[in-house]
Amino acid sequence: MRGKTSTYLVSLLFVVPVFFAIFPFVVMALTSLTQRTTFNLRFSPRDFSLANYIAIFRNFNFLGYFKNSLIVVICACVLNNLIASMAGYSFAKKRFPFRKQLFWIYMLTIMIPGQAITVPLYIIMTKLGLLNTYVVLFLPIINAFGVFLTKQFIEAVPDDLLEAARIDGCGEFLLYFRIVVPLIKPVLVSLTIFTFITSWNDFIWPLITTNESAMYTLTLGLSLLQSNYTTNYGLVMAGTTITFLPPFIVYLVLQRQFVEGIALSGVKG
Amino acid sequence: MKFPAQTRTRDYWGYLFILPSFLILLVCYLIPMVMDVFFSFTSYNVIQPPRFVGVRNYIQMANNRYLGIALRNTVVYTIIVVPAQTVISLAFAVILARVCNNKWGRFVRSSLFIPVITSMVLVGLIWRIFLATDGGMINYFLGILNINPINWLGRKNTSMISICLVAIWKSVGYFLVIFFAGVMDIPRVLYEAAVVDGANGFQKMMKITLPMLKPVTYLVVTLGTIWSFQVFDLVYVMTGGGPGFATSTLVLNIYNTAFKEFRLGLASAISLFLLLIIFLISYLQKKGFRED
Repeated sequence: MRGKTSTYLVSLLFVVPVFFAIFPFVVMALTSLTQRTTFNLRFSPRDFSLANYIAIFRNFNFLGYFKNSLIVVICACVLNNLIASMAGYSFAKKRFPFRKQLFWIYMLTIMIPGQAITVPLYIIMTKLGLLNTYVVLFLPIINAFGVFLTKQFIEAVPDDLLEAARIDGCGEFLLYFRIVVPLIKPVLVSLTIFTFITSWNDFIWPLITTNESAMYTLTLGLSLLQSNYTTNYGLVMAGTTITFLPPFIVYLVLQRQFVEGIALSGVKG
Repeated sequence: MKFPAQTRTRDYWGYLFILPSFLILLVCYLIPMVMDVFFSFTSYNVIQPPRFVGVRNYIQMANNRYLGIALRNTVVYTIIVVPAQTVISLAFAVILARVCNNKWGRFVRSSLFIPVITSMVLVGLIWRIFLATDGGMINYFLGILNINPINWLGRKNTSMISICLVAIWKSVGYFLVIFFAGVMDIPRVLYEAAVVDGANGFQKMMKITLPMLKPVTYLVVTLGTIWSFQVFDLVYVMTGGGPGFATSTLVLNIYNTAFKEFRLGLASAISLFLLLIIFLISYLQKKGFRED
């Protein structure tokens, strides 16, 4: 780009995409506070009330959905971090027979498109009697991507450090918890964010595996809200705002790690 | 100082550390993939035991008009969404990296990332309301321009394009982040050398930026294609596949076959078909990007 003026002009043009990205969410939040059925740009403070939010918590089990989503997200994040980093550690630092072949199998599972194995996975979970449980909701969230990610990081941990701990009589599990885990904290934060978003936003899997409304997640509850109350825009928008807020707040707080974490997921291919 | 013997005995701990993840991958990925193949040759409705029917499901698939429509819609969706989101996010990334790699640029990237963190269901829901014929936000703005209300999601020729636009709107920020990282990784020396040789902006773009971004572009195109072929949430929420079958997609077809009609054998066959398409596309794209 030549000259300062054109630089400013181009920079200024990005106001348009920024507007397009943010404006719908602003309208969503504002509409959730009104009882309107048609869109209008004039919002006056007199229209605003929390009636939709009161209705959504009172007449629909949104608190229950929220709790379910939270439990699923926490279980998925804790387990994925633990299980993935254990395997990542093993593949990075242990030398056992068939290590290469096993890792190759892990990488193969990353390539399998989730939607193509939903049907047989549903059959397995039905046979195991796990439908309508939390286990069925968070178990498939765990995948080999976390293993791949943590392996990359653990490879950078010096062998001498682990060897020194062993000489001091540190047991294998203690070594992993006390030495490896603290060293790879940044990648675990990224993995947590990634897992959080995936499990919070998951839709087709809860849709298939839960048919008792007591087990519905927030995303699922939201989709039911619209099928029954399509024209009650304020109510639907209140539901979407509630669903939108938790990831958004985490995003505001952990913005850098967030973008890095999601960008890391691009390594998946 | 090393302790080879001791290390070797400890190495069998390796199996214990991978055991939990291996079991989960076995149950959630590897066995289902094999089961896809097995059940595709059976008739199965969960309640009665599976019955072997040979290639009947495959014959039904080949003759199923709705599956053909769903496949065509999925391809159309992919052909619209993938190039658009790739070009837009690439252009944004290059301009942001070159012209406004500052606070404003960071704000732009952060803002465009907000649709990325929200769920497809949420995005589908709010846009369904924005696109409503009467009283929707889009028609409101068109009304200001004296354009008559359009039934975006209720008409055959506008429903698919509406869904595509929403999908592009949601994913540009994601690919932008990947492209941006790619642009920042290009060594500055290359551009400095090009300036010494008298290259202009366009030449720098064609000879340095684009070739250096090839691996990232491959990643973006491949991921975009794989995800596009699995589109479900957006369609389910926005149109349910309608009007008629105008927006029905492959995964929607699998969902309806398996969980509305309870023909899990046939659904497995379609799933296997989807799996093979995606593997084939990944393979072809890898080959294509390597050759030129």
